[in-house]
Amino acid sequence: MGQVLTSGSIDGPRPVTSESTRPDQGLEPTLGAVPVHPSAAAGQDSRVLCHMRGVGKRFSGVWACRGIDLTVLAGEVHAVIGENGAGKSTLMKLLHGVHAPEEGTIEIDGRALTFGSPRDAEAAGVAMIPQELDLFPDLSVCENLYVGRQRPRTRFGVFDWAAMRREARAVFAKLGIEIDVRAPVRSLSSASAQMVEIARALIRDARVVLMDEPTAALSQQEADRLFAIVRDLCARGVGVVYITHRLEEVFENADRVTVMRDGARVHTGPSRDLTTHSLVQMMVGRPLQKFFHRTARSPGAVALKVEGLTRRGAFEDVSFELRKGEIIGLAGLIGAGRSELAQAIFGIAAADSGTIAVDGRPVSIKNAATALGHGIAYLPEERRSQGLHLNFSSPWNIGFGNLGGLTRFGWVSPAQERRTANQYQSMFSIRGDMNKPVGGLSGGNQQKVLLSKLLFQKPDIIMLDEPTRGVDVGARAEIYRIIDELANAGKAILMISSELNEVLSMADRILVMYRGRLNGPYEGPDFSAQEIGFATAGVRVDGTEARP
Amino acid sequence: MTAISGTAIGKRAAAASSRTMLLAAFFVVEVAALGIFVPGWLTVDGLLDTSRIFIESGLLALGMTFVIITGGIDLSVASLLALVSVVIGFSHQAGLPLPVAMVLGIGTGVGCGLLNGAIVAYLGLHPLVVTLATMALFRGGAYVISNAAAYSEYPAWFTTIGGFYIGEVLPAQLPVFAVLCVLAWMILEKTPFGRRVYGLGENEQAVRFSGINVAHLKLKVYGLMGLLAALASIIETSRISTSRANMALGLELPVIAAVVLGGTKVTGGSGTIAGTLLGLLILSYLQDGLQFAGISSDWGLFITGALLVLGVLVNENAGRNRG
Repeated sequence: MGQVLTSGSIDGPRPVTSESTRPDQGLEPTLGAVPVHPSAAAGQDSRVLCHMRGVGKRFSGVWACRGIDLTVLAGEVHAVIGENGAGKSTLMKLLHGVHAPEEGTIEIDGRALTFGSPRDAEAAGVAMIPQELDLFPDLSVCENLYVGRQRPRTRFGVFDWAAMRREARAVFAKLGIEIDVRAPVRSLSSASAQMVEIARALIRDARVVLMDEPTAALSQQEADRLFAIVRDLCARGVGVVYITHRLEEVFENADRVTVMRDGARVHTGPSRDLTTHSLVQMMVGRPLQKFFHRTARSPGAVALKVEGLTRRGAFEDVSFELRKGEIIGLAGLIGAGRSELAQAIFGIAAADSGTIAVDGRPVSIKNAATALGHGIAYLPEERRSQGLHLNFSSPWNIGFGNLGGLTRFGWVSPAQERRTANQYQSMFSIRGDMNKPVGGLSGGNQQKVLLSKLLFQKPDIIMLDEPTRGVDVGARAEIYRIIDELANAGKAILMISSELNEVLSMADRILVMYRGRLNGPYEGPDFSAQEIGFATAGVRVDGTEARP
Repeated sequence: MTAISGTAIGKRAAAASSRTMLLAAFFVVEVAALGIFVPGWLTVDGLLDTSRIFIESGLLALGMTFVIITGGIDLSVASLLALVSVVIGFSHQAGLPLPVAMVLGIGTGVGCGLLNGAIVAYLGLHPLVVTLATMALFRGGAYVISNAAAYSEYPAWFTTIGGFYIGEVLPAQLPVFAVLCVLAWMILEKTPFGRRVYGLGENEQAVRFSGINVAHLKLKVYGLMGLLAALASIIETSRISTSRANMALGLELPVIAAVVLGGTKVTGGSGTIAGTLLGLLILSYLQDGLQFAGISSDWGLFITGALLVLGVLVNENAGRNRG
């Protein structure tokens, strides 16, 4: 049949050569219909390998992504970008059979398929190279290639290791990689381990390869090498879809780009039609949605002063001041070092150098107990593993961070515990049975219990790490109200968030962390979403850098 | 919005108490059955007298309940009991006044418990490995100090600790044990320390993020275990009026068995003193009754094992149903 490429967007079928942006996306008008990147269309095998039509997936009632159309062409590199929580990883998991879509269909070679598991997806030729590599560290490279596959046997019925090594070497030779196939994967660098994953995909004859932030742990050279190999794969007709946060990579390596935002696809088109500016704008550039109207405040004295704080491999030379009655938003990408910074200030994992001063006095914080003693509290990012005791009730959890506050003459007072819990329950309108294990509450209510626990520690300096992650919209608004009230009551608040909108609408000032280094502060209340967005992506904009 | 009522542990407490009721019912049925099928066994004197034997493992079981609730284990308790006894006996033989020797023994118990705790807390090693090593270390220490000899020159006042009867039937150590049980229950359920013990077993990371010093907490728990081992040692030494290095050989097993049968999960985070006590009673009286009936101790061990398997199955299912 005459292959007519469909864009798969709501524009309906149209030739790929004119696939472009939808008109309503607020892109610069110069970005109209333009010729496609040559390698996407002019290849010898330009056909649709995979077509997702209107797929959607909900988690506990909230759509992680919905109505997504995505095509993967043979021989293309297709980048998927978007803010954290935009639904990129969910989309990849749908394609890889980890989750089943609740809406829409996935077609491979024009046939609609239902994947029950990644195994089904792999049988259909879709391979995934996850962010956290799932190799067996103590098995050899060769053995890892054969995990989940039939191993060749000799005529005596034992494994034919010679044949396996031969095939493994052949695969790596094809990729142009020098690697000892007998070496245990543990002994490899993360770049080499990634090559093993790619070889594994190749040996299974995968035709669609999904990569989730493949370059996050790689140096520039290693990343270049990876992309050389990716190009090679594409030349063989493999379609590569990859998620990244590094925008510069998109322009260097991707043929087409899909931008996602809030669980929806907002743009698909050739990368060469885009600029960093337009990409960032699409990622964050909706009219600023105020979840909550910030009250006008006049911050007081400096409550927390951090100077030159460094922990090697996590963050470097971090300095900032946090005043009473002020909310500082700490923006950045996951892995930029924000949680590590907060946890260093909280004494969980101490910094190597630098100073911390509370109310103008230098303090030495060795563990979380001393941090709390100085009035510093921290709402951990991982609610379930770091924050709550899921098998215990809400009052038990609220009291746990400050048992002294419940204790009368050495005994925990059940009456005091009840009063405290009732007080926070009505203050935060926590819904659900308080006597049941907190693990049974919804994410939003769990977060309110965790906030109650933090406030019962009576802190003056509050560090909130992703305070609305996994929280439904209704509870979010309540949490924003609580944070605002705390600032009005004179608390100094540092709010770490990967959701730019949240930071933009809540913070009085914004700091941005990129690969362990701090930029800013950006002064509010009228922040430029683009400016902050650029900074989180590590793109430097003249005149906005506070740092030299 | 529902009001908050009763204890904070809520549903867990309900699940734990239904298990405790089950164990209590089992204990009553067991005693009744033994009374019917083993003529002459069921007497008040007999029941009370048996308590002299199990109180020592009972004291260890109280400490072990704390240790296992934190998600740990202590295999060295029986060895420590022997070491403490030998320290008391041989320092007394060397001329130390007995009260001073007893203080030295208690110090040894607490010190060795703290050693376990320190290795677990500061070196981050698994308690199973640590206490397996100190199990050999303490027992070996007892052999070295005693030179494999026994010491039994104890004065009469000392042997009354474990050999005195109140009103001719009630062993003197029984009310002491009862008081300690109540104390352990109150500490575990009603103090901040007890709360932290439960918290540590369920989620150590969340304890750390709550601003609690996890290392100190572990030191206290293993130190308490050492103290109880020392008390058990003094009672046993007094009861048999002998100190020797092979005392209480293998006693850690029935101790851990009683705790586990009593509903304490080895993965930590749940368990009760009442459960441990019932587990102890069920195992001790079963063994005593079988022994009384003249059934070989091999069978006694076999039945104990079968009971344990059953107990663990019940625990696991109770845990699963709680969801």
